[in-house]
Amino acid sequence: MHDFDVIVIGGGLLGCFVARNLAKYRLKIAIFEEREDLCTGISRANTAIVYSGCDTRPGTLKSRMCVKAAQSFDSLCSELGVRYKQCGSIMVCFGPKGEEVLRKKYSQGLENGVRGLRLLEQKEVLALEPGLSSDVQLGLYAPEAGTVLPWELGLAAAENAASNGVEIMLNTKVTDIERTEDGYIVHTAGGSFSSQGVINCAGMFADEILEKVQNPLVRIIPDSGDYFVLDTKADGCIKHVIFHEPEEKGKGLTLVPIVEGNILIGPTKNSSDEKDAFKTTSSGLEKLRTLVSEVVPTLPMEHVIRSFGAIRPNPCYVHLDSASGSYVPIEKTISGFTIVESEETPSFISLIGIKTPGLTCANELGCFVADRISSLLRAEVNTEFNPQRDAPLRLNDLSFRERSNIILKNSSYGKIICRCRNISEGEIIDSIRRKPGAVTVEGVKRRTGACSGRCQGSFCTQRIIELLAREQSVFPNAVAKDGPGSYMIWGGKKDGNKNDRV
Amino acid sequence: MGTRMIAYDLIIIGGGPAGMAAALSAKEHGVSNILIVEREEKLGGVLKQCVHSGFGLSYFGEELTGIQYAERFITKIEQSDVEVFVSTSVINLQPDGSVILSGEKCGLCEAKAKAVILASGCRERPIGAIAVSGMRPSGIFTAGMAQKMMNIGGYEIGKQFVILGSGDVGLIMARQLKQMGKDVLAVIEQEEKCGGLERNRVNCLEKYNIELRTCCTVSEIHGKSRITGVTIKNLLNSHEDFLTCDTLITSIGLIPECELAEEACSGGRCPDWLFLCGNACYVHDAVDDATFEAESVGQLAAKLVISGTIPQDTKIFSSKAEKTSDSGMICLGCPKACVLIKIDNGFKGAACGRKDPILSCV
Repeated sequence: MHDFDVIVIGGGLLGCFVARNLAKYRLKIAIFEEREDLCTGISRANTAIVYSGCDTRPGTLKSRMCVKAAQSFDSLCSELGVRYKQCGSIMVCFGPKGEEVLRKKYSQGLENGVRGLRLLEQKEVLALEPGLSSDVQLGLYAPEAGTVLPWELGLAAAENAASNGVEIMLNTKVTDIERTEDGYIVHTAGGSFSSQGVINCAGMFADEILEKVQNPLVRIIPDSGDYFVLDTKADGCIKHVIFHEPEEKGKGLTLVPIVEGNILIGPTKNSSDEKDAFKTTSSGLEKLRTLVSEVVPTLPMEHVIRSFGAIRPNPCYVHLDSASGSYVPIEKTISGFTIVESEETPSFISLIGIKTPGLTCANELGCFVADRISSLLRAEVNTEFNPQRDAPLRLNDLSFRERSNIILKNSSYGKIICRCRNISEGEIIDSIRRKPGAVTVEGVKRRTGACSGRCQGSFCTQRIIELLAREQSVFPNAVAKDGPGSYMIWGGKKDGNKNDRV
Repeated sequence: MGTRMIAYDLIIIGGGPAGMAAALSAKEHGVSNILIVEREEKLGGVLKQCVHSGFGLSYFGEELTGIQYAERFITKIEQSDVEVFVSTSVINLQPDGSVILSGEKCGLCEAKAKAVILASGCRERPIGAIAVSGMRPSGIFTAGMAQKMMNIGGYEIGKQFVILGSGDVGLIMARQLKQMGKDVLAVIEQEEKCGGLERNRVNCLEKYNIELRTCCTVSEIHGKSRITGVTIKNLLNSHEDFLTCDTLITSIGLIPECELAEEACSGGRCPDWLFLCGNACYVHDAVDDATFEAESVGQLAAKLVISGTIPQDTKIFSSKAEKTSDSGMICLGCPKACVLIKIDNGFKGAACGRKDPILSCV
């Protein structure tokens, strides 16, 4: 008898959606996540775009999934109680090279079955987006593109999975995996667990997990990107996702009017040699400012409230170098979704280096993998699966009367903690008590939006630390900003000196 | 709308020094029914965390700590019949003049008033607003946040500090940290000279041998979990060096928190019933100046409440007007706080084209 039927390694956006879709079958499922919370890696820093499906080659799995996902994204989000803004996207160009790309993507999109695609003349583009440079030549409009907060989506999928019986094991780093006659034993810092099947969704580290059971096949080469975030004061300056196709070599500008009313600017593409260094580069940020001044000169860059760095996983095949005896990655990145399943390791499926449009396709990929493993394990359909998730209260979305009634029942919803976004104490407490709940300041931020406004947490962080400490019955100096070691407070009189750090 | 509706002659948003002074002044000038809405648990605003002295010289003629300065006003408010809602936030200020309040005690309610004074202070510019490269670890605090955590929360936030920006709050924090026995490695300033007041530079840095590095900036932040150090870049010769630290304090500017007024303004024009004072209007160097100005604003609001109009020739001058003669004027009529230039037959420079600018000298 196994501990689990399927272990999902990695609790990022993909791991959460794989688990959610596995719960549609009668299986005993667990997510093993190394960190203290879910969606803390690639999922927490990316461009937040739901793609329409005109960027990928016709006939590929990627294109099929993307088009299908975009067309049903609204219903997925309403099932999960996640905010989704189907604002449409406009790809713009400023010269002949870009025009060629746009026309190619237009016909590619039509072939992929993208609905409502249109090429826009200059004056049409400017009518839709008057802030763009008037030098714009052509636009490709895709009404079914949109934007969603990736961590909100991932956490919602995890909550839905948990309420359907998936066990979420946090702080559970996989140290080794052993092949047995009828499955695997996954060794972790917190003990060893047997399972029939394993789904490897370890994000940046998926290659290393795969290599615990078989010879190297694909390696992940990281690169990084810089982003700016504009305050909600800039809300309305752009209304669609804007993709800028540059004339020169290199990456253009992307602008996203995210669901919280901020504008996201980025990313650049920088080389990186670290898989877990979410850092910005001064050259990248400088590049973004230059691009903004060329593409959207009216964008109020004085409202920048944050810059952050993202990491992207680029999967590359490796070959055995006979001279050195070691595996060496082949430079060229694999363009399709890399889903690895081999005969030597049955029921062990790896999703390696899933990047754009991975966010768009998260549920489709989860569904694909769940269907595959359930047929391998001959699992029955779980007729009790409930796809609906009870969304947390978001007081700002309620009417005056609804909000008033909620505060009458529980006064903590009346007390505003995050003044920039008007998030109440009650909503913060909810975010800590949900399953899986927030355990760090960033966890509260991802779930409620507190600390992400124009003051960037300078007014509310202390209060949030105190609420986290109270709810978890720990001293405030045990509360981390974001993961192990990222403590905010050394000690002090409120803790009793014996608990001070040294 | 909802079932709860309350009415006042004057509502003051913010119970810091400016809000309290405006309330007392309006009271003195005949307004009887006044409400102060304070989002924190106590009145006093930022002064509650100012344990240092240097307040009150021009208003009281004696040197007080920030806490003492606030106490004097809090006592007067408590002795008056000015109503105070603490732990209550204004979540919306509507163009028709209704104020939506949210608080633990009052719940969600709509308040109406003949006049509203916004005295919500200012916030600190976050480090995200400047393009610092590198990681985003813990251990980065704005100066005011650090001051609050230490002086009100009673927390120890670090041991080895670097301070970015030589604004007054940064200088004062540098001194306090040094007095508490912490390492203050340097204060980093991108301009050629100190950003804060000269007296703070002398009293806080020179006296304590704290290094001020001008023409420098923090070009990179290091550390994956807690900050482990910063790269300091000299902007003149691009020379870079590394400083090990466990805490970075930023003091890179203050921004008036006047977004509520922006919501209430339509077409660039501030409604007649709305006034601003204190740091919500523009950032003051000294609380005494903000107090004097707030009293004038309170008086002006009283005129509106009592007579229904404000005299066209009303002008408010801050105490600084006497000290500086060559500077511009600021219109207090709306949160834009436009800088005005005197011309023969009045003033120009108000973005809204307002003919009756409410003035203050800067």
